[in-house]
Parts: sequence; C-alpha cells; structure tokens
Amino acid sequence: MGLRTYVITRILLTIPTLLLLLSMVFVIMRVLPGDPVALHFEKKADPAQMDAMRRILGLDKPLWEQYADYLLGIVDVNYFVAHGYPNLGKSMQTFEEVGGQIFSAFPATLELALYSMAIASVVGILLGVASSKAYNSIPDHLIRGFGTVAYAIPVFFLGIIFQLIFGVYLGWLPTGLRINPRVDPPATITGLYTIDSLLGGNPYKFLESLKALLLPSLTLGIILSGIFVRLTRSNMLETLRLDFVTAARARGLKEGTVTYGYALRNAFLPVLTMMGLQFAMLLGGAILTESTFSWPGLGSYIVQRINFRDYTAIQGAVIMFGLFVTLVSLVVDILYAYFDPRIRL
Amino acid sequence: MRKTKTKLRSILSSLIPGLSSLARRGPSGWMVLVGIAIVSSIVIMTAIAPWISPHSPIASRVGPIRASPSLQFPLGTNHLGQDMFSRILWGGSLMLQVSALSVLICFLVGVPIGLLASYTGGMVDSTTSLVIDAVYAFPGLVIAIAIAAMLGPGVVNMALSIAVVYIPSYFRIVRSQVLSIKELTYVEAARAAGAKWHTILFRYILPNVIPSIVVVVTINFADAVLTAAGLTFIGLGVAKNIPDWGWDLTDGRQYLGSGAWWIITFPGIMIVLLALGFTLIGEGLSELLNPKLQR
Amino acid sequence: MVERVDLAIIALVLIGIIVASGTMYYTATTLSNISAMSDDLITLTDGVTELTGSIDDLATITSTLAETVNASVAEIADLKARLAELEATLAVRETLIVGTTDSVELTLDPAQAYDYFGWNMLQQISGTLVSVKPGSVTGSDFVGDLAASWNASADLKTWDFNLRQGITFPGGVAFTATDVKYSVDRAIALIPRIPEGAPAGLGYDLIFDRTEVLSTYKVRFHLKFPFSPFLGILAARSSAIVDQRYASIAQINYTAANPRASTPVAFVGPYTLVRWDRVAGRDNEIKLDANPNYWDLASGLPELKHIIFRFYRDAATLRLAIEARDVDMAFRHISPTDVLDLENNPNLRVWWGTGAQIQYLCFQTERAPFDDKRVRMAVAAALNRTAVTETVFLGLAKNLYSIVPPGMLGHTEAFKDAGLDENYALTQSLLTQAGYSTSNPLEFDLWYESSGHYPSSADQALLYEESIEAAWPGAIQVTLKSAEWASYKSNRDSEIMDAFIYGWYPDYVDPDDYSFLYWASWLHTNYSNSTQVDLYDQARATSNETLRTQLYAQIDDIAVDQCSVVPLWVSGAWAVTKPTVYGIYLDITQDMRYWLISK
Repeated sequence: MGLRTYVITRILLTIPTLLLLLSMVFVIMRVLPGDPVALHFEKKADPAQMDAMRRILGLDKPLWEQYADYLLGIVDVNYFVAHGYPNLGKSMQTFEEVGGQIFSAFPATLELALYSMAIASVVGILLGVASSKAYNSIPDHLIRGFGTVAYAIPVFFLGIIFQLIFGVYLGWLPTGLRINPRVDPPATITGLYTIDSLLGGNPYKFLESLKALLLPSLTLGIILSGIFVRLTRSNMLETLRLDFVTAARARGLKEGTVTYGYALRNAFLPVLTMMGLQFAMLLGGAILTESTFSWPGLGSYIVQRINFRDYTAIQGAVIMFGLFVTLVSLVVDILYAYFDPRIRL
Repeated sequence: MRKTKTKLRSILSSLIPGLSSLARRGPSGWMVLVGIAIVSSIVIMTAIAPWISPHSPIASRVGPIRASPSLQFPLGTNHLGQDMFSRILWGGSLMLQVSALSVLICFLVGVPIGLLASYTGGMVDSTTSLVIDAVYAFPGLVIAIAIAAMLGPGVVNMALSIAVVYIPSYFRIVRSQVLSIKELTYVEAARAAGAKWHTILFRYILPNVIPSIVVVVTINFADAVLTAAGLTFIGLGVAKNIPDWGWDLTDGRQYLGSGAWWIITFPGIMIVLLALGFTLIGEGLSELLNPKLQR
Repeated sequence: MVERVDLAIIALVLIGIIVASGTMYYTATTLSNISAMSDDLITLTDGVTELTGSIDDLATITSTLAETVNASVAEIADLKARLAELEATLAVRETLIVGTTDSVELTLDPAQAYDYFGWNMLQQISGTLVSVKPGSVTGSDFVGDLAASWNASADLKTWDFNLRQGITFPGGVAFTATDVKYSVDRAIALIPRIPEGAPAGLGYDLIFDRTEVLSTYKVRFHLKFPFSPFLGILAARSSAIVDQRYASIAQINYTAANPRASTPVAFVGPYTLVRWDRVAGRDNEIKLDANPNYWDLASGLPELKHIIFRFYRDAATLRLAIEARDVDMAFRHISPTDVLDLENNPNLRVWWGTGAQIQYLCFQTERAPFDDKRVRMAVAAALNRTAVTETVFLGLAKNLYSIVPPGMLGHTEAFKDAGLDENYALTQSLLTQAGYSTSNPLEFDLWYESSGHYPSSADQALLYEESIEAAWPGAIQVTLKSAEWASYKSNRDSEIMDAFIYGWYPDYVDPDDYSFLYWASWLHTNYSNSTQVDLYDQARATSNETLRTQLYAQIDDIAVDQCSVVPLWVSGAWAVTKPTVYGIYLDITQDMRYWLISK
C-alpha cells in the first residue's frame, strides 16, 4: 500500500491500541489482590465503615458501570478545558483529582528526563562518532567498552555510588530533593526548577536546582549514553563506508564537515528514533532513579500508588505514559515504513 | 530420539572448534568469548558454591556485625553478621534462575506468536500487533511490579513478571524479520512449489530470523538480571532466607552512610559483571551475524 | 540521500510536535501564571515605590546621623553591613529546619486525619481541651490545654470542663463552650461520610452520647458508658477544636496555595500554618510561623518563630541530609545503624526517648497446627527476641513481654515470667506432647510484610525463623513467606497465613488502646475470650489505678496461657539535631512538641 494509506491506517490503529491499554490497566488493577477500601483503615474497621468507604470510592457500582465512567471521564472535553488535564477520576487514596496530581508530579520527571537525555545524547553521540573515526584502535575499544559496561550497571547502584562520592565524601553536590532545603523553590511557571529560576531572574536558585539535578541526570545519562555510543558508532561505521562520503572527501571538504555535516546527518536517523523511544521511557518515570534520589516525580508516584492499590491514580499514570510511548512508536513506525516499503503490509 | 541425539552430538562437537573459530574472527569474536567466559565462570561459581562456601550464606551472626573485610571474612560481613563471601558465592543462583526462566518464557511465547502472526498476515497480524503494542506501551517496571504483587514473591513469579515486559520486543523483532523475508523470491518459489506453511516457516524463515533473536536473547538476559535487582530493590524480591545479590544491594544501601561499603560494592560488581557478560555476547554476536548491522 | 536529510528534518518536526503536545499543558499554565505574575508585578511596583520612599527617609536619617556622630562614610557602611548580618543570623537562629520521611497522609482535618504526621502537625497549630505533660512516663499525666479544670462523675459517664477564659481565635472571636460542642458534634456527624477518619476509628459515635453547653465557659460531655481513659480521647488530635468560620459540616481538603482553607482547626496553638505544599499526594514543604494568637504566649512559647519541614524519601537520604547539616533536625526515620553512627559524630547530637510502637506475632487459631494451644505456646517459647533487638535494631528496640509497653500502667513481664522466651526445653516438651518429633516435624508458614510498612521485617523474619528452628533441629520447619502491604492485609482478612508478624502504634496512650490486641477481631486470628473482654471492660470503667493494674495483669495471665498473640518488641525513639538545638522531649506520647525547641 502507499505510504499515505499506511500512515492513516497506522494512526487509526493507535486509537484501539490506547483503548486496549486503558482497558488492560483497568482490569489488571481490579485483578490485583489487595483492596483499596481496606487500605484506608490502618487499624480496626467495622463493616459499616468499609461499606461507606466503598461507596465513596465508587467501587460498589457494577464493574461495567465503573468502566463506563472511567472511559467517559477521559473523553470529557468540558472537564479538560476547565482544568487543563483530562478527567482521570479522584485518587482512591487522597481523594484529589488524579489529573492534577499527575500534572504536578510530571514536571519533576520531565526535567530529569530532559537533562538526562541531553547528557546521554551529547556524551553518546560524541563518543560514538569519535569511536567510529578511530575504528579498531585502542580509543575505539575503550569507548566501546564504556558503552557496553555503562548499560550493564543497575541504575540505583550507580546512583548510590555517586551519592556517596559526590554527596558524602566530597560534599560537592546535594544527595536528594530538587533543591537545597534552605532555599524556597522558584515560583512555578513551567514546573521545571532550572527554567523557572532563570525566568524569575534568580541565578542563585538556578545554580542550586542545577546542583540538585546534576547527580540524578548524570546517573541516568551515563547509563543511557551506553546505548547511544554503540548505536551511533555502528551507524557511523556503516555510513562512513558509503560512496557519498568518499566523494565528499575527494572533493576536498574538511574532515570535520564530512563527519558531522554529511555522515552524521545520515547516520543520525536511527539514533534519533532511539532517543525518542528512550525519552518516552524516561517520561514513564525513572522509578529507580527517583527512589534513589528522593526525586518527587511520576515514577515515585506510581510506586506509592501501587502500594495503596490506588486504581484511579495508577490508571491515570499508565495512560499518560502509554500515550507518549504509543505516539513515539507511531512516529518510528511511519519513518521505517518510509524507509522500507516492505514493512507497510 | 535418534535425531535429537545426533543433533546434540553435532552441537557439542562443533562447540570447541566453534569457540576457537570465534577467536579468529577479530574483536567481535573476542567480545563473545570474553562474555562467555564471564557468564560461565559465574555459573560454575554458583554451581560449586555448596562445596566451597566457608559458611552458610543465611546463617546470621557467624561473624561480628558489619565487619570490614579481613582474613577471616575476606569480603566482610553484613548487618546481620552474615559472611559476604559466602553470600557472593551463592547469590548469583537466584538471578541466573530468574533470567534463564524469563528468557525461556519470552522465547517460547514471543517467537511462535511473532512467527505465526506475521506470517499469516492480515487481520490476525493486525490484531496481534495491536495487543502487543498495548502491552509495550505499559511502563515496564509497572507491569513487573503489578504481576509480582499479584502472584507473590518467588523465582517463577519474578521470571513471569520480567518475561511479560520483554515479550513485545521479541515479537517486534521476529515480525520485522519475517515481513522482510516473507516476500523474498526463494520463499515465493517454495510456496509455488506447494510447500506447507509450517515447512516454509520453520525451514526457510526461522533460520533467517534466529540470528536477530539470539541477540535479543542475550540482551534480554542482561536486562532480566537488572530488572530482578530492581524488583528486589522495591521490595518485591524473594524471601529473605534465599541468598541473593539483589538483597545485598538493597540492604547495603542503608549502611553506606556509616561506611560499610563492602555490603553493596561486591554484589553490585557481580551484578554488573553478569549483565556485562551477557551484553558482550550479544554485542559480539550481533556484529558477527549481522554484518550490515540491521536493526 | 537528500531524502534522508529531509526525513531527518521531518522526524525532528514530528518528535517536536509530540514533545510540544506534551508540554502544551504548560503553555496553558504558563500563560495563566504569567498573567498572575503581571498582576503581582503591579503590586510589586507599588510596593517598590513605597520602599523607595522609606529608603529615602532612611537616607535622610543616616546622613543626619553621620553629621551628628561625625563618623566617616566607611564606618557607617560597615555598621549597616553588620546590622544586616545580625538580622540574617537572627532569622536563621529563629528558624528550625526539620527533615523527615513522614508526610501528611490525607488532610489536616481532625475529622479525617488518622496518621502520625497529620496529627503531629495538627498538634502544633490547634488546641485540645487537655494534653499530656511533656516528659510523661505513663502517658496519663494530663494538663489543661484549652480547659482550665475538669472533673468526672463517680460513674465516669459525665465529664465537666471549665474552659480558660480570654482565648480568642485570630480575628478576635472568643473561644467558648459552643466551639467545643461544635467540634465534637462535627466530628461525629462526619463519621458516615469519612469512615476512614479517626473519629470513626476511635468510635466517637460509640463513646459520646451528647455534649451540653452549661454556660459560656463550661461544657459537659455525656458518655454512653463509663470510660476512664476519656481524657486520652480528648487529648487526641481528632478532638482538636475547629473554627466554625472555616469548618463547615463538610470535610475540608487540601487546597493548593491556601493553608488556611486547607484545615478547619482554630489557630489557637503555638504555630499557624503559613505554607503547605503538596506534589502528587506527598508533602513538599510545610512552614509554620509563631502564632500571635497563641493562648499561652505569656509563658514565652513558642521558642522559635519559624519551623520549616523538608521531606525526604527514605532513611538513607535523611541521614545524609543531617550529616551534611542540610537540616537542623532529623526526626522519623533514621535507621538504628545510622543513629548509632551519628552519635559518634561530634558535630551532631542524638536525643533518646521512649517508643510506643510494638510488633507482635499472631497465630491463626482456626486450623492446624495452631488450633492447638500447646503448639502456639511451643513456638512462642522458641522465639529469641534478643537476637532481633540486638542484631537488627542494635539494642534500640526492647524485648516486649506484655502487649502493654513499659512505662504505661498495666505493663507486666508476663511472657518472660512464664518462660516464653528462648526456652528450647519448653518448646520440645510441648511439641512432644502435641505429637511432633523429628520424624513428624511441625511445619508452618511464617509471613512478614515486605514493602517496608514495618521496619526491617525481612531481617526480623529471618532471625525468628532461625531461632524457632534452632529450638528443636529437624523437628520444626518454618517456611518464610512475604507479601507487600496491600496483599498482606488482604491475606490477613482471608485468613490464609498460619503465623504472621503485625504491628501497632497507639492513638492515645493508655493500656485501653493496647490490651484488646490479644483478641482483636480485625486480626482475623479467630480467637476470642469472654473472660479477657470482661476484664477489659471492667478496667475501662474504673479510674482506680491499682484496680486497673490488677485487671490488665489478669488479662496478661490469660494471654500467656492462650498465646493467641505474642508480643515481640517495643521500639525506641530518637532524634538527631545540630548541637545548638535544645528542648526535645521524646516521651511516651510520641508527640514532638516543636514549640518547646530552641536554638
């Protein structure tokens, strides 16, 4: 089929995918052992109180009705316009709007993801290019070694080592939280502390939030860079052998222009798609990193909520994550279909 | 029966020359060899642990609490007075079991589904891809946590929860390969010649798909090791009376501030080594089997 | 080739769109924030104009001073700088920064809050009729808070309170008996709507019959049954007095950026809530300022003007924070290892106190093997509490031999006196009687909670397993099983656990809030004992301490004989501060009274 048909089909397919995702998370939550009603009562609970709680949480309604409410809530446009986020129900643990909670937890994860991605990409691509240029030499092997080892390290292990070295022994950087406890966080504009402090014209807060951001994003960034190093390297090796590169060199263009201007631009596509995929993954909440660094983002939100069997909250967070991943996969698939017509079938 | 025996024998007899031929294949071959060496030494170490371990890995207070490495306790003791050296020897067992089992499950579930769905094409393919995409869109660790919470702790349950996360990857790789190969001329020729679908699938398509799968398997192993450690870190690990590197990593974290670095460092290094070993095999094989470095 | 470049651009654009769609939420908020900012800017400019005016005045005075004193400009500048420094130091001296891993669970509404930290915060900002004296050992030395005096009828069903006069809420409204009645009535009225709240859990509707306003400053409580621990209920934070202007009959929830609207309590406590920031259901920052309306200002309290709470995710990070002196005080939770380490740190000070959190072992009495009380007693006798308190808690927890913790009235050493600790001989003889041996071993599952709800559960369980199996090697086989909290609770209710470890912390400090654990129906141990229940009811109906002690001791005697629930240990309490911090009381109430802390 033609590319256009494929794209349209693919886009249309995301809707049932998302619907399936919504339904799956709904079902999984209710199949899990553990009752959100019971979890409200730390101590004694008599049946009357538990029934009252069940009614409050809407769990006394028949399952299909809960499901219908759930789906209708998500597509409620009025709510979305009024609040700026979709109606994902009220948290079964704290009774606050789930959409609002996710909305407030999201900036922390976004900031962490952005900085980690930046570090991973810069380190990964630069090292990958350098390694491919110096093919089969010692630096190449060292960089490949780094790329392989980096991804094999458990993220919380590396995080703890960094905390120990830079936080405790050297005392240079804070070991947790988004900003030094003695400093008030910058006024919320985007929710990203670094951007907000710059927008607020407060260089001290910018520095403090940057310092707090450094260790977690370094941890994640180094581990992710491993993939990028290897991917960039292998794609660059492939590209550097192609005719047009030789031709460019023959034409007398400088090596730097050839490497970055020609070869990298063409080798970049798979790396870019991998970046997109990894970024979507990060947005799902770097759960382990957030636990290690006391980072109040979406990841820790999800973990806490699972412990409380907070159906609505987890549904909301999973939908959010699913949306990102689905969209990015959509883009990736379309790009590959553009590349390889055989895939479009 | 005879066929299996002959197959087995041919695999074994080609193993030794196979390994040495790897060495002649340049740096990629070296990578695979080093990876195999690392993994097999860990497997052997775990296997002979019952005989060479100086203490029981779960007996508490065999030594002073949080004693630093010494002659008596070469890797120190942890917060319960357990000998770290014994725990290192025994502790890989759980990770090896969990990762092997999860890879097996993934393979046995993901590959057939991928083959059948993409070969059949049409509605079956679209529906299966849909379901798999939905699973893929789930945050990986959340599925693992949900399943581990649902089923309770245990080797099989941990393996299952990790497997569910990786099946989509197997499916996708297999599918993309099958789609490329399906339309090749010689496959069409076989079809025209009247070959049955299962013959085409297993004799023509599968052998071409295997190289990519092998790479995914090794990456799956490495990821399974890390995810198993992650699950233990969150509290969904196995019972405390099973020695496990993941436990030491989780526990050891609390004692870093007080200077007991040995509780977390040695298990951490072992986990990195194990994951590294698998990754090296995967990397090397990927280069050897896919010289064009297709994704 | 050229297409590839185009493609890269297309890809960039598409991915950019995705990222942009994700961040379009921010544009909406950004725009509204920016418009809010521009409003603030206008107010700021007005403020700046005022400031400039004041600065002008200051300048004039300074120049006059300079002329008068005839000092050089440099000296004046130096003086100004030193003044600014002093002011900054004073501000720091008057602020306490507290690091904690706690977080307000739901709200600061006394009709709903039922968690430690929520109650702790309520205690700083609100008032109750009575409270427990700081440093109390038994938890029953009550002093008047908003009440000046009280007395109870002989049958302990009618309680009269004389309120302090002259207390006003912020804004000048006088505190009277109607406010007390309103608060109690509100708590009870909200029970059907807030079943998870403390009034429901403590049974306010079962305790209070009606509340009567006798006069402006006199209130009378009629109770449904004779209840001697009633003062404990009144000292609990669910009895905090609310301000009718802010406390409708509906529950009050957290309202972002509006601390006053987030709690209905009357700000008559030592502090007011000036900032409460939550992100996705967890506290981010809480700031308390000294309350100019505090009824006890005359005593010079609160010591410090500002308290700021910073929230950490776990004990390890909190330890690093106090070690790096990022906070002035770290309270709940620093692990035993860390606190013992920090004791040796000359730059920090550790405070020790009494704990009230307990752990106990429950047996499923409805089926084998624990339907036989000899088997229960055998396992109870095999427990090595010392191994756990010494190894896991490094001596910071204490062996517990009665369900009522030490210090409180009714505490005994019953289980120890009966020889139910590290008594392998007893275990063996009981098991032999019950028919077990090395050829017919006792097999059962020991469950523990794995998601950190109780401290070090996994390590504890491992050591219990070891000690039980060591009592008669080969004749006892314990299988360790774990579940994370939600599943654990569900397992408890479905009664599938043979033996399981559970915990408790008190709502009010009285054996009345502990003793019932032996037969609590919600533990689903299927154990009941009418004698114990009778003794318990008698004990709560009298205020005679000697009699009560006897009655609780009798309950313990039966408990030792039946072993339905076996007490394991009681926690300690500690806080870590900089050496310049004083006034920390870690008494049996577990309350942290921040208004007594000074620097």
